[in-house]
Amino acid sequence: MFTFANKAIEIADKHKADFGDIRIIEARRQTLSVKQGEIGALNDTVTLGFGVRILFDGAWGFASSDLMTAGEIERVTKFALNIAKASATLKNKKVRLAHEPAYRDFWQTPFITDPFAVAIEKKLDMLFAIDKVLRKDAKIKSAVSSMDFIREHQWHMTTEGSRIEQVLLSSGAGYVCHAVDKGEAQTRSYPSTHGGQTLSMGYELIESLDLPGNAERVRGEAVALLTAPACPRGRKDLIIYGNQLALQIHESVGHACELDRVLGYEESYAGSSFATTEKLGDFRYGSPIVNLVADATLPGGLATAGYDDDAVKAQRWHIVKEGVLSGYMTNREFAGRINKDRSWGSCRADGHNNIPITRICNLSLMPGSVSEEDLIKDTKDGVIMENNRSWSIDQKRLNFQFGCEIGWLVKNGKKTKMIKNPTYQGITPEFWNSCDAIANENSWRLWGVANCGKGQPTQTAMMCHGNSPSRFRKVKIGVTA
Amino acid sequence: MHDHRTICERILRLAGRCPAEVIITSTDSALTRFAGNVISQNVSNTATEISVRLTDKGRVTRFTLNQPSETALKMGFSRALETLRTQKKNPRLMPLSKPVPVKKTKKLFFPGTAELPPAERAARAGILIKKCKKAGATAYGTYENGAAAITVANTYGVRAFHKESYAIYSVTVRDGNGSGWAESPASDAREIDFDRVDRTAMEKALLSRNPRSVKPGRYTVILEPAAAADLVLFMGIYGFAAQFYQEGQSFVTGKLGEKVVSEKITIEDNALDGLSAGMPFDYEGMPRRKVTLIETGVARALVHDRKTAALAGRTTTGHALPVPNTYGPIPANLALLKGGSSMEEMIKSTKKGILVTNFHYTNLLKPLTVKMTGMTRDGTFMIENGRVAYPIKNLRFTESAVEAFNRVEAVGDKPQAYISWGRVSAPALKIRNFNFSSSTEF
Repeated sequence: MFTFANKAIEIADKHKADFGDIRIIEARRQTLSVKQGEIGALNDTVTLGFGVRILFDGAWGFASSDLMTAGEIERVTKFALNIAKASATLKNKKVRLAHEPAYRDFWQTPFITDPFAVAIEKKLDMLFAIDKVLRKDAKIKSAVSSMDFIREHQWHMTTEGSRIEQVLLSSGAGYVCHAVDKGEAQTRSYPSTHGGQTLSMGYELIESLDLPGNAERVRGEAVALLTAPACPRGRKDLIIYGNQLALQIHESVGHACELDRVLGYEESYAGSSFATTEKLGDFRYGSPIVNLVADATLPGGLATAGYDDDAVKAQRWHIVKEGVLSGYMTNREFAGRINKDRSWGSCRADGHNNIPITRICNLSLMPGSVSEEDLIKDTKDGVIMENNRSWSIDQKRLNFQFGCEIGWLVKNGKKTKMIKNPTYQGITPEFWNSCDAIANENSWRLWGVANCGKGQPTQTAMMCHGNSPSRFRKVKIGVTA
Repeated sequence: MHDHRTICERILRLAGRCPAEVIITSTDSALTRFAGNVISQNVSNTATEISVRLTDKGRVTRFTLNQPSETALKMGFSRALETLRTQKKNPRLMPLSKPVPVKKTKKLFFPGTAELPPAERAARAGILIKKCKKAGATAYGTYENGAAAITVANTYGVRAFHKESYAIYSVTVRDGNGSGWAESPASDAREIDFDRVDRTAMEKALLSRNPRSVKPGRYTVILEPAAAADLVLFMGIYGFAAQFYQEGQSFVTGKLGEKVVSEKITIEDNALDGLSAGMPFDYEGMPRRKVTLIETGVARALVHDRKTAALAGRTTTGHALPVPNTYGPIPANLALLKGGSSMEEMIKSTKKGILVTNFHYTNLLKPLTVKMTGMTRDGTFMIENGRVAYPIKNLRFTESAVEAFNRVEAVGDKPQAYISWGRVSAPALKIRNFNFSSSTEF
């Protein structure tokens, strides 16, 4: 493939491009789902294509194609060059990329069992078995269980001399059921919402999740929620678990700290950010116990790879250190805007047909010092919320509202009644500054976000957010219309 | 673009006796993005997706690829046939569809729009940027164009083909701490009134500078078409998709024929004509029919695919997604029909209220009431005594769209189209007692 790719590099060099790269990507995705005793999806997708990025006269052009011929590589590279020339007509100053050494390397996601080698029959058997358990109660009107496996083989070549080959693998699975009765509808899922748990692992992930073993509990909770009391209104201490805390990190820290967004490059679509560059190193984002670390080397992380799509080697860095804004998600184009001579390496593209953009890396809340049990014992009047159901945040990442699938009241140190339709609202820095306890490493685990949308044209990326249950004081809960 | 017909016939031949369906989608797309008064991104993509569904006596599988080579196709068939062989039979599985004539939609393909060169997109961005620089403002946005072609064919003779072009000009302008937005999509780029889009976004940005804080609570709102379209989209999808209805998760479950919202509201799904027109058949090759979902406030009908239609004892309305799927049919060409009020009349008749340009990051909280949340964005204004009085800081709404549509006081006379999950069009709406649950800092 590098021989094929070299054609684009030759053309970029010949036309004296400031920078050029080509990514050839062969991807395979297997999607399976079962709904109401029938196959809901069973699709095996294989794609192959390439994307060429040209920086010419300080401006970008990008073009891509799935016609794998030498002639097409030439056409697409020249077209990217022409697009860059059109871009150059409207620029203030020339784009300059932060320096990165050239690499010649191969990297792949470690795994134990290749999910594509596991028989489809075995996978469907598990999904049908889960489906059967989920539908045992007549109040369950809809149940969907699913698995999703992606392998992406990348060949990345730059005019700077990098030749990087990577094979990235992810596996995911989960299920959701919807209970409906007497004008009420409730949802419960496992292990998390939005397609279940996804990590950069092989089929061993599926086997570790005990999917069938949790189906009965999940069904029972969905039905019990129908008659559970509603989430109380007011300000209470809020303990957030797993998948919901992952989304909280994602929306109110991850996106807020993408440097392209901070600099206004997403203004027209998803918005900008309150976490502006003059705040770097100084702004109190959260309480002193809040440490949020970006890590492209994290085992199992969906953004874990040897290199990002700027050909920058994987790194680990603080976004928030002891409560203070300490870093951003960067690419090579914008790193210089915060006086950094090297990108942290968080630039990725969705497949061969999209230009690499700044993305959230794996971003995790570091564990605290208390046990999960003590966290609850120490809470007098609070609410636990788990598994995201709805999400919304303003375009500067300040005002947010989240809804969860399930909640429980905490009274005098004990987890008590289940509550339905739990919601909470907040303003990002105020919220993270109210964090006064984070459970220790015994409760810390990774949660995958497999469907993060950003950019125009919209691109999807995957990343993880590790966390342990954490407590936030006096949060506004129980928002009603 | 690949020749769809040749690929389809080749695949159906390779399928032999195994009933097969082929969906081929080809797209040529390009987008110029600008931010901070410069071009920030300029991209182009050519892509083809070939998706093959095989069925065999109660068994089903699908494979998808983008390389129509002999090797790739043989690999796809080999894996798919193995999957079919090991699968348990499903007696409820529907056979592939038989051909039904598809009505033509209005003309939606314009070669000039499909092939707009990057220089022309850059020039258009340049005109706005020049205006903004002169006004001391900053331009952000996109100008995108392209074409998409789709073919659905199967063993039983279904052959459906559709081609359309598109151009979308979307602009955000920042002026100090003010922000304005406007957008115009079209199948023919010549129909876009670029100057109007520029002017609207720049005026809103200027007028929304130095916004004041207002207390959250219930207000009369005037939702401009983009904000109204957002609510229509959620009402359509979560109310009138037959699978949600059959699962008891729709607010109209058991209420067809009953008044569910204000009599001022009529919502259709219409792929064949009007502002939301699009592909005239679904992903099984079945013709999309015009479906009146709500007629003067009364819930009338649902959109169906073959599976939900069979359960309901009806015929499909042509709203299938690629089968099998877990979502069921989806209305993809929604239109809230216009009323008789101009924007000026709506504002003039409002003693105290809020004018909303657009919503941001809307999401569903409860399906049975279509309770939603989201933020206002890019121009939110207080109306007092019949005039736009001053800009206000953005607010979060938490509101049931069904209840809100029961409190509609006026429907605008100028619907606008947007491309979102499919196409949706709506005029402005005036709604009383709309609930804002909190505010933000800008």
